[in-house]
Formats: sequence, structure tokens, C-alpha cells
Amino acid sequence: MIRELGALTRRELLRLTRNPQAIMTSLLLPILYLLLFGQAFNLGNLGAPPGVLLSALRGAPTYFSYFAAGMAGFVAVTATLFIGANVIFDRLFGVLKRTSSTPAGPSAIFGSRLLAGCIQPVGLAFLVLGLAVALGQFGLTGLQVTASLSAIGVLEIVLAIVILSVMFASLFLAIGFSIEQPQTYFAVVNAINLPVLLTSAALSAWGLMPPWFRSVASYNPITLAVTVIRENLFAGSSNYYSVDPAVCLLALLAWAVWMIVIASVLAARALAPKN
Amino acid sequence: MSGQTSKGTIVAEELTKVFNGKVRAVDGVSFSVAQGEVYGFLGPNGAGKTTTVAMMTAGLGATSGRASVDGVDVLRNPEEVKRRIGIVFQEMTSDGDLTGRENLELAAALYGVPRGDVNRRVSGLLERMQVADAGDRLAKTYSGGMRRRLELAVGTVHSPSILFLDEPTLGLDPQGRAGFWRYVQELRREHGMTVFVTTHYLEEADGMCDRIAIIDHGHIVASGTPAELKDRLGGDVVTIRPSQTDPSVADLLRAVPGVVSVTAQDGNFRVKCPNGEGLVPVLVDACARAHVGLAGVSLKRPSLDEVFLEFTGREFREDEGMSATDRAVMISRVQNRLRGRR
Repeated sequence: MIRELGALTRRELLRLTRNPQAIMTSLLLPILYLLLFGQAFNLGNLGAPPGVLLSALRGAPTYFSYFAAGMAGFVAVTATLFIGANVIFDRLFGVLKRTSSTPAGPSAIFGSRLLAGCIQPVGLAFLVLGLAVALGQFGLTGLQVTASLSAIGVLEIVLAIVILSVMFASLFLAIGFSIEQPQTYFAVVNAINLPVLLTSAALSAWGLMPPWFRSVASYNPITLAVTVIRENLFAGSSNYYSVDPAVCLLALLAWAVWMIVIASVLAARALAPKN
Repeated sequence: MSGQTSKGTIVAEELTKVFNGKVRAVDGVSFSVAQGEVYGFLGPNGAGKTTTVAMMTAGLGATSGRASVDGVDVLRNPEEVKRRIGIVFQEMTSDGDLTGRENLELAAALYGVPRGDVNRRVSGLLERMQVADAGDRLAKTYSGGMRRRLELAVGTVHSPSILFLDEPTLGLDPQGRAGFWRYVQELRREHGMTVFVTTHYLEEADGMCDRIAIIDHGHIVASGTPAELKDRLGGDVVTIRPSQTDPSVADLLRAVPGVVSVTAQDGNFRVKCPNGEGLVPVLVDACARAHVGLAGVSLKRPSLDEVFLEFTGREFREDEGMSATDRAVMISRVQNRLRGRR
């Protein structure tokens, strides 16, 4: 099982590195959001007292900084989207038939895709954060980290992105193993992506949300991940966050486990001999 | 299981596959393949060849019946069967985004080839398949022939005792087909490998297979060695094509000394005889004396084409329609669409 998992994961990663277009596409949306959306919503221009703004943005000095942390989380969604699509293309091109005909079990086939799916987003998320910081050097609003980032903080951010990626990779794998046509897959994924993004705190300022929206957003997995990122980048000694990052990570883990269970059942069903 | 179930054998007993409760793709098929034998499965598209292979290789569940491969029950222990067999599918299934070498390394790992043997075995296979120079190129850049050879290498990287080939030479030119079969024969000689092959190319089956089964509409209609099957034709076949439809011509031809049998088909008359060459002038003369005009006369030596025609009642063609699996999928889709509209 370990050898099969390793060999299939290597295959996934080799394909990933040979397809830079997919990486660029994964980055395109978050970068466009950073350059256009993030720059346009300069809440500081409203003239609100700094304390009000800090409270609304949970300690972030500017809306762009708040937003950039949200985009680092959102990249986990855009980067894992191709994992599910690859299942469909592998089925169409016969590769899945070949793999299923070998002694490699469904768990190795599913697990390798999941493993490969959560490695890429970590790098991309830090790339997004780096780019957001760099924008400040080019006369644009840039990401300002106001808390002293510890090693544990970096680890928490990495964990948040990894778990969020596992959760979304599982979701997209579940869809990929259940759908035969690429166009149907992308239609379903688009129908899921936008509502998930819009009901999270990735874009919306926490302090400006109506209470009902905040309740909905607080359970959203993207919110849980970006909360961990924001707490480590901006919170410092402030009390803008009532929940410890560890709690957010646990809640995120529960989401991921739930999604893994669903996806692995669907994958096993799809890979079993047809009746 | 009453059939032979020892190592290297393939046995099917009353194997049946019904799709969606309606399409009977394979209907009570039974056969037994001995160790080291090359067994050919012949039939037109939709006959049930690929469905049979899919059931024998644990890729598709059977509706009823039993199957064993290398002494292992396919339906009860599909994972063990997968470990023991090699498969070459009719479509390209190697990964175009990996190099030839990477494809083989992946297959070796999945089949549990000892780590220490992988490099030697992969390099040996690339050399043998004449793709060593292209071993580090992505498989999607290979020509059709190279890709087929890579498919065979992937299917045999673990030196299986039984190899299933489903239309393995489809789309290859004659030279490519000859090379492919040369390698299969080498494998068979070196490892005593049992080979189960479905093919559209009758001359391939004739030359390569020890025994052949002809399958039509899910049933095996004839089986035996190529020589046995051809012997059943009773000799040569002379086809008489009268210029006008006239059923009485059959009686006229039957009366000619040396004629074994006469069957009418689409206005033509197939005359079986031991010595067709000598009988053609006699048959033509008999028709002339009876004032029967002829539009054509042809002579065929016994061939698998003739055998196929004899047992299925039609010519062997490649494009007779979609496969049984495709038919089932199409029916299922139409049913789903109809359900959706209701």
C-alpha cells in the first residue's frame, strides 16, 4: 500500500510540474482579486477612526492586508480544483482504467491524489502572501504584517492551508469520481465555488457583517483557515479574536475528515468492478 | 468448478453478463485455456469479446457463471487475479504525461516488482520494445506503433503468467503487428505465458493462436484449432452468383458429382467441395447446360473468414456496430434522459 501510494503520488506530482499552465491558472484568480478587488476597497478612505477600522478588520491595518490573508486561503480552493478534473480526464484517456486494473487499491489511488493535491496549495498560498507584501514596494497598497510571527505561527498557517486543501481536494475528488463529463464537472464546481467564497470571511470585513451572516461565515471552512492566518499575521496581543487558532484548526480538521470519508466512499464505488 | 483450475489456466463456466437487465452481452460462455496456450476470441463488434475479457480480468462483475484465472476464482478474489495477470487494452492507457520509462516504473511499483529489479527490467523492456531511444520522452509524443509497444511493456513488466490482450494490434500497420506478435511469442517461449487474445484480424488469429473460439451475439458458436475449424468447412467453397435470382439452381448444383453441400445466401450459392479448382469448370458447365446465366464465380480456400461466415452467417467486418458495453451505456443514458424528462 505504501509503495503504491508513493508511486502514484510521484506520478501526480510529475504531471503537476509538467503543467505550469494549471499552476498559473490556480494563481490567476487570487492575483486578479489582489490587484483589482483588494486595491479598490480602501476602507481607510472612509475616514473612520483607526480603532473602528481595526475592530472591523480584526486587527488588520488595512482592508488589503485583511483581504490578502483571505486570498491565501482561497488559493487552496483554486489550486485543488484541478485534482478533481484530472480524475475525469484520466478516466477519459484510459489512465484510470489502467491503474484500476493493477493490484493498487482504491485507497492508494484516492490517497495519492489527495496527497499531491495538498502539497501545491501551501507553496501557492505563501506565493500569494509574498506577492501581497511585494505590491507595497510598487506604489500600491501592500500586505502589512503587524504581529510578530513566531515559528509556531508559521506552522499554524501551513497547517490551516494544508487542512483546507485536503478538505477541498476531497470535495473536488468526490465530484470528479462521481461525474463523467468535464463540462458537467466545471459547471458543478463553479456552482459551489462562488457561494462558498462569498459566505466566508475571505472577502467580507468581519466587523461589517450582519450577525446572521457572521454566524454562517464562522462555520465556513475558508473562514476557519483565514482566521488562523489573520490571527498570526495581525492579532498580536489584541483581543479581536475570541477563538484560539487551535480550535479553528480542529474545526477545520472535522470538515476535512467528513469530506475525506464522503470522497473515499465515492472513489471506492467508482473504482470497484462495474456490475 | 468442474473445469481445470491449475496454474496458468483460464476457465469460464456459463459466464453471463446482462446490462441493465436487458442487454445480454455475454450469454453462458464456457471455455478452458491450458497453460502456455494462445487462445483467440474472434467476433464482430458487439459480440461480447471485450465484456468477456473485462469479466475475466476482474474489471466487470458477472451476472452469473464462474471464472477462474491461474487457479484463482475471479469473482471471489479479484485483487489476487489482478496481481497474477497482465492486460493490454484496446485503447491507449499508458500516461501520456509521463515518459515511457516513468510509465514502466509506475507499473512495476504497482505490481510489486522487487525494487532492485525495476531498473534492469524497465531498461530491458524499453530495449526489447525498440523504444529505448525514446524512453525519456513523454509517451504522448510517441507514434501509434511505439505507444502500442509501450502498452505491451506496461502489461508485462511484472512477467505475469497469464496475459490478456484485447484487440492489441488495433490501428497498427502490418509491420507493427508482426513486431508486436513476435514479442508475444518470445514471452510465451521464455515464460510459458498463457495468452488470451481478442482480435479483429483473422489472419493474425490463424497464424498465432493454438485454439480459437468464435463468439457471436454473446454465444460461442464454434471453437477448436484453426485447422479443425477450417476442416469443418468440408473443403473449398465455390460461390456461384446467378445473373437472376433462381432458387432451383441449388438443386442443379447439388446434383453435380463432388459437391458436398450447397447453401443459398443473399441470392448466391455457396458450394462446398474437396477440390474447388477442379470443380469450377464443371459447375459453370452445369449452369450453362441448364441455361442459368452467371454474374460471377469465386473460389475460396478454407480460411477463418470462411469459418466465420459458416458459423455466424455473415462476413467478418470490423464496423458492424458498437460494442456490447457501449450499447449498454447508450441505453442507460437514454433511459436516464427519459426519466429526467418525466
